[in-house]
Amino acid sequence: MSAMPRKFQPWLPLLALAGALAWTPARAGDVACGAPAEAMEAAPMAGVFAALSHTDLRILVVGSASTQAGGTSGPAATWPERLGAVLGERVAPVTVTVAVYGRRGTTATDHARILAEQGPRLRPHLVIWQLGTVEAARGLPVEEMAETVQNAVAQLRAVRGERTDVVLVDPQFSRFLRANADVESYRNWLRVSAAASGAQLFSRWAIMRHWVETEKLDLERAPASQQVALADRLHDCLAKAMAEFILDGAQRGRRARP
Amino acid sequence: MSSPSASASAAASRDIRVDFLRGLALWFIFITHTPGNLLAHGTLRNVAFCDATEVFVLLAGYAAGIAYGRMLERDGWPTAAGRIVGRMGTLYVAHIFLFVVFAAQVGFSAAALNQAAYLDELHLDPFGQEPYRALLEALLLHYQPAFLDILPLYIVVLGLFALSLPLIRHPAWLLGLSATLYVAIRISGFNLPNWTGGSWFFNPFAWQLVFTIGVVLGRADPAVLARRLPWHRGLAVLAGLLLLACAVALNLVWHGPGFGLYAPEWLAAAIATVDKAGLHPARLASVLLLGWLVAHLIPRQASWLSHPVPAMFVLMGQQGLAVFCAGIFLSFLGRLALEMIPGLTGQVLVNLVGLAALIAVAVVSAWYGGEGKRSRKTPLPATSGIVTP
Repeated sequence: MSAMPRKFQPWLPLLALAGALAWTPARAGDVACGAPAEAMEAAPMAGVFAALSHTDLRILVVGSASTQAGGTSGPAATWPERLGAVLGERVAPVTVTVAVYGRRGTTATDHARILAEQGPRLRPHLVIWQLGTVEAARGLPVEEMAETVQNAVAQLRAVRGERTDVVLVDPQFSRFLRANADVESYRNWLRVSAAASGAQLFSRWAIMRHWVETEKLDLERAPASQQVALADRLHDCLAKAMAEFILDGAQRGRRARP
Repeated sequence: MSSPSASASAAASRDIRVDFLRGLALWFIFITHTPGNLLAHGTLRNVAFCDATEVFVLLAGYAAGIAYGRMLERDGWPTAAGRIVGRMGTLYVAHIFLFVVFAAQVGFSAAALNQAAYLDELHLDPFGQEPYRALLEALLLHYQPAFLDILPLYIVVLGLFALSLPLIRHPAWLLGLSATLYVAIRISGFNLPNWTGGSWFFNPFAWQLVFTIGVVLGRADPAVLARRLPWHRGLAVLAGLLLLACAVALNLVWHGPGFGLYAPEWLAAAIATVDKAGLHPARLASVLLLGWLVAHLIPRQASWLSHPVPAMFVLMGQQGLAVFCAGIFLSFLGRLALEMIPGLTGQVLVNLVGLAALIAVAVVSAWYGGEGKRSRKTPLPATSGIVTP
């Protein structure tokens, strides 16, 4: 706020306006492979909005297996890479860069360490933090996971202030995981973690469950021969839904600005 | 505090409200142990800090206080403690049986579903990776898969109860000691380790407090109890409002964002401190407040409790262990059914068959002389029968 009067750039509002028109979330029709609209509604994202008013949007992704390969045909087909591509198209001429720090089997504690190292270096406008699957599968303490998230986001805020938005991403929907881990508890605690740290939650679980229930995309029931192609499609659809979510947050970020 | 005559009169008029609530808790445990069951959205955990586990442990303590308290007076500490150890053995065997069923169910699901497709994360299935080791760890209660954590808690809590049994003649001492252990555990954070990382899902040294409170309540003369914890309309309204505020706060944090409502950060941060493993004081307070309200709002001789539907829950509550184990066993089958049969059909089927089977187990168990039947025939030398934990 204090920077505004000191360094006023007359072209900025114009660019912001043009940008805002360009990245208006598309609501009509079969958006994001038919993901439920309410799952793509976000809270204001001031950091993303500010970035889109300039020239580049830097996104930092941390998470476990799905950020790396997750059964797709290769790294280029994973949701973080697809998100970079989908979002890049939507917000051009703003350039979108996605840095992915994911590894199979990593927990929130590992992710927090990465955020502490890379946060100040990459100065992201948006952190997308996928967690909860490994914790749920191993039955790790939910309270500790929540505490880790709160501390990591607070640390990030101390360095970046409101210039970085944080989005948590919950596990992928899977009947197998649902039956054999207490996923509901972990999802509830992710909601609490997000609310307690000023972050928000993108519910991949709810979106994927919707796709399974409406028989649009069901990886667990797919024949082995189609699995890779279907995983590619799943990640692409998730990236599209996430792009909608982020653009919705950016829109609201604009409105929320004084 | 409770003279022999007092406990005899308590035995004569068994408080079926306790059985009813226990039956309800057992039903909730079956529902919440069947992930994907839509009825789970209607259980206690959605509106309160505590859930069916606290109710179950509190009422298990209540029943144990009555049954073993009487045994202690009649046969002395060694015999009563021996019976408790025997009970622990039964629970242990039941737990291992359920573990085997669990392993079979996981194996079946893994084969039926393309779980490898996304669960590349591995470590998901320790049993599949290191079956011999997993079996050993399970026998040592060092490996507790999700949803198989209540019986290990119960076993350790009963062990502590066997040790402290003579103290039930001095409820203040018993409560004081139990609360001291609870506070020490809350401060130190000590818990038993779990093989897959972290520690026991329910810390038995913290959870023993809710069991002990149950024991003391079960031992107390109802008339004395009513005098000590009298009804007070103002307090009741306050308690009701407090519970309502908790329900609103929890649901605002969980589901508010879906409706564009955001809870203040401090509120969510406060909720984030309420841990389940160590029985956070808010969870304990929540179940005790609920208990106090229910005890006063449902009259002891409420006629509706003898109507057929509530009576089924009373019966389930009286056959506690059999119904609990059946519930966990059925929840494994329920998971498979929900995997196989999508949509409403699966939901209706799982819940109808599940509840019917729980009732059937209670009926059969009561009929062949499980828990409670013997005691009706032989009122005074009440063996483990009357109310078995």
